[in-house]
Amino acid sequence: MANIKCTHCNLEFGEDVMIKDQDDNQQQLYFCCKGCQGVYHLLQDEGLNSFYDKLGDNNLEPVTYIDRELEKFDLEGFEKKYVKNIDDDLKQIHLIIEGIHCSACVWLNEKVLHKQDGIIEASINYTNNKAKIVWDSDEIKLSKIIETIRAIGYNAYPYDPSLQEEKANSAKKDYYSRILVGVFGSMNIMWIAIAQYAGYFTGMEQKFKDILNVAEFLLATPVLFYSGWIFFKGAYFGFKNKIVNMDTLVVSGAILAYLYSIYAMVTQSGETYFESVVMIITFVLVGKYLEVLSKKQAVDTLDGIMGSTPTEVLKIEDEIKSLVSVETIKVNDIIEVRPGEKIVIDGTIIYGEASFDESSLTGENEPIYKKQDDNILSGSICLNSAVRYRATRDVSTSLLSSIVSLLEESIAKKPKIEQLANQISGYFSSIILLIAVITFAVWFGFISDFEEALIVGISVIVIACPCALGLATPMSTLVGIGLSAKRGLLFKEAGHLETMAKTTLLALDKTGTITEGKPCVVNSNFKNGFDPSLLYSFVSLSKHPISVSIASHIKNQYTKELSLENFKSIEAKGLKGNFYTENLLGGNVEFMIENGVNIDIKRDINSDNSIFIYAINKKVMVIYELQDKIRDGAVEAIQNIKDLGIKVVMLTGDNEKSAVRVAKEVGIDEVHSKLLPQDKAFKIDEFHKNGDIVVMAGDGINDTIALASSDIAIAMGSGADISIEVSDVILMNDKPKNLYEAFLISRRTYRGIKENLGFSILYNMITVPMAVMGFVTPLIAALSMSLSSLIVVANSMRIKNIKFKDSDE
Amino acid sequence: MSETVIILMLGVSTFLGALGLLSLIWGVKTGQFDDQSKFIDAARYDNQEDLKDAILMDRKKEERKKRKEKESNYRPPD
Repeated sequence: MANIKCTHCNLEFGEDVMIKDQDDNQQQLYFCCKGCQGVYHLLQDEGLNSFYDKLGDNNLEPVTYIDRELEKFDLEGFEKKYVKNIDDDLKQIHLIIEGIHCSACVWLNEKVLHKQDGIIEASINYTNNKAKIVWDSDEIKLSKIIETIRAIGYNAYPYDPSLQEEKANSAKKDYYSRILVGVFGSMNIMWIAIAQYAGYFTGMEQKFKDILNVAEFLLATPVLFYSGWIFFKGAYFGFKNKIVNMDTLVVSGAILAYLYSIYAMVTQSGETYFESVVMIITFVLVGKYLEVLSKKQAVDTLDGIMGSTPTEVLKIEDEIKSLVSVETIKVNDIIEVRPGEKIVIDGTIIYGEASFDESSLTGENEPIYKKQDDNILSGSICLNSAVRYRATRDVSTSLLSSIVSLLEESIAKKPKIEQLANQISGYFSSIILLIAVITFAVWFGFISDFEEALIVGISVIVIACPCALGLATPMSTLVGIGLSAKRGLLFKEAGHLETMAKTTLLALDKTGTITEGKPCVVNSNFKNGFDPSLLYSFVSLSKHPISVSIASHIKNQYTKELSLENFKSIEAKGLKGNFYTENLLGGNVEFMIENGVNIDIKRDINSDNSIFIYAINKKVMVIYELQDKIRDGAVEAIQNIKDLGIKVVMLTGDNEKSAVRVAKEVGIDEVHSKLLPQDKAFKIDEFHKNGDIVVMAGDGINDTIALASSDIAIAMGSGADISIEVSDVILMNDKPKNLYEAFLISRRTYRGIKENLGFSILYNMITVPMAVMGFVTPLIAALSMSLSSLIVVANSMRIKNIKFKDSDE
Repeated sequence: MSETVIILMLGVSTFLGALGLLSLIWGVKTGQFDDQSKFIDAARYDNQEDLKDAILMDRKKEERKKRKEKESNYRPPD
């Protein structure tokens, strides 16, 4: 059957299920749902149909209307948290817009917001889908703005921009401007310096020398004081805390050379060193920038969690329902949750039964069925029916809030392994400064006059130029990061490579990390012939993970969609439905027995896997066995990591039985099961106490605290946003093989760093004595400095030649 | 070759370069390069409509300002 594209969202569906419609020009239109149809006509009426030209062949998500919780946007508590007053009536909010797929979506959202009266400013960042909106509260309410966005098929939730991200961005911009000035200065000064070098050999009149000197001075001054400001600051902090650091050396070298050059320029004697000043500052600044380039933006998705949680709950008092703020709920209050709502307060069910999605707590995707007297935990989502429960805690002690506060805490106290270059540069700087002072004293006291002694002293500092040392780490890590990015591994910060190389322990989550995280059909046992289209239509009516995976398993055999009657999904048991006279049943063994289906348990079912039986008119058609499959290559990857001398343990929220089974299959000896999110973090802390440097790999919200408290956190690319956000490394294609490669690359990079540092120390051991003896002319200084930097760069490039085990290239 | 020529050459070229540098830094500081994708799309979708849109937003701001002024100048009759 031919599939037709929906006129709005471009997704393809069978012709018979499409809603047919006509526009003003009698052209045939097709829509996949009412939502798409509504948005299409809205855009037509508003004269925004050029949206579809811009959209091109891009797909949108079918429109689903969300009309819940609009009122919460006008509540005072919400406003206090997210809305900023800029003028008496002007208000500003930052929103994350969901559902943006392409630039046309950005265009449409901006356009619609611009058209709305009372909105003064609306700009959306396409790269991260974040919007800034300024509006006049006299003319329009925030809830109306959100409604406008929802009306065209997108959704918006607020975030607090005053957190990490903004800070990181402005720091980046600041560095960027400083580097621009530095690069501009050094490029221009090099042209002039070439003229000076030429003049040094062929002879140049003093008046031309003066002109060149002044030009160099003009270019060097902003570079030293504007671009170099960061080093002045660093040196000042170092001085205050009585630490000699790399910045001290850079600043003392640059400023002494600068002052001496001014002296040489004014007195028209000797050579100037302005170009060295500029080169040192620019090179080391670039090195520093490479390190801050991707500082983590951890905390702002905490708002993602908190922003999507309800701020009000439905409280029941004497059979009267009232919407009250979560803060006012006390222990023993009765609360009602409706399907689809997130629980914010822990409690015990007193009336009703429903399935709960606890994936954010345990990492397991299968819904858990709960009835009266069962405990429900905040953070889980009520899936299918209304339930009343008694609060056993208030909001601040409920699990969800404690997860968020624990997470904030762990991010703040994240361990930091000191980097090799920093350790070395302290000693290095002190030694060089000491040598320079001694050299000056000796020359002044025994060999020559003040002026020459000063020149020799300065030349020691200049030649010991920290360029090579400053570039040693950033160059290597940059190559390492580039290499890993090519293999689908994203390191968020350069320093993480070095920390990862020192790791001694790897902690793995089970579901979603070692395994696929969803049940897959591993075995099917056909009893009778049946129509796959019917089964497909049957299971695709349910959103249960087992139904979903069976639907995807038989997708190829399905030909047409059939409409079923009396469909019913019985929690934790199975599905029921009618197709004309046929009575369809699907579900687990107990469900079949309950409904009088005759099955021979002993003969047909002999495994621990989940079972899905499909029966028509009480006759078994097929038995599927489902299991959460271990990811391809997990066994080899874990073995390889073990061979590197790293201990591997498993931390999971799942029960012991399945944890041990998976651990055995992949070869992990140490298993900790039934862990709640905070327990995982405690385990990580325990490992730390034993002196281990810990890498944690996980995918779900339940792993985030553990991820945040580990030295290096690795997230699966398909994992929850929040876990990606708190992680240091992301595996883009979820392959366990990449985990092993991450270790390999980081270790090779660390070796590169050590080689580079070793080389720059060797270089200094040769050139510094020369400088002490007064042999260093400006030409030698310039040549040896560039040469040493080049060698560091070349050595770092060698990291690219790394060989991967069982590489597929 | 006289000194003036060299001074002029160096002076003019450095000045022009500095102008370019300053405008680039201005662009960075005012966030014009923040959104890479939009930055590129702006060239692709550049049209009159966007211009009209920008004018519309400016007009809105102005109107609001005027209204505010009116309100603040308003004095109840004695």
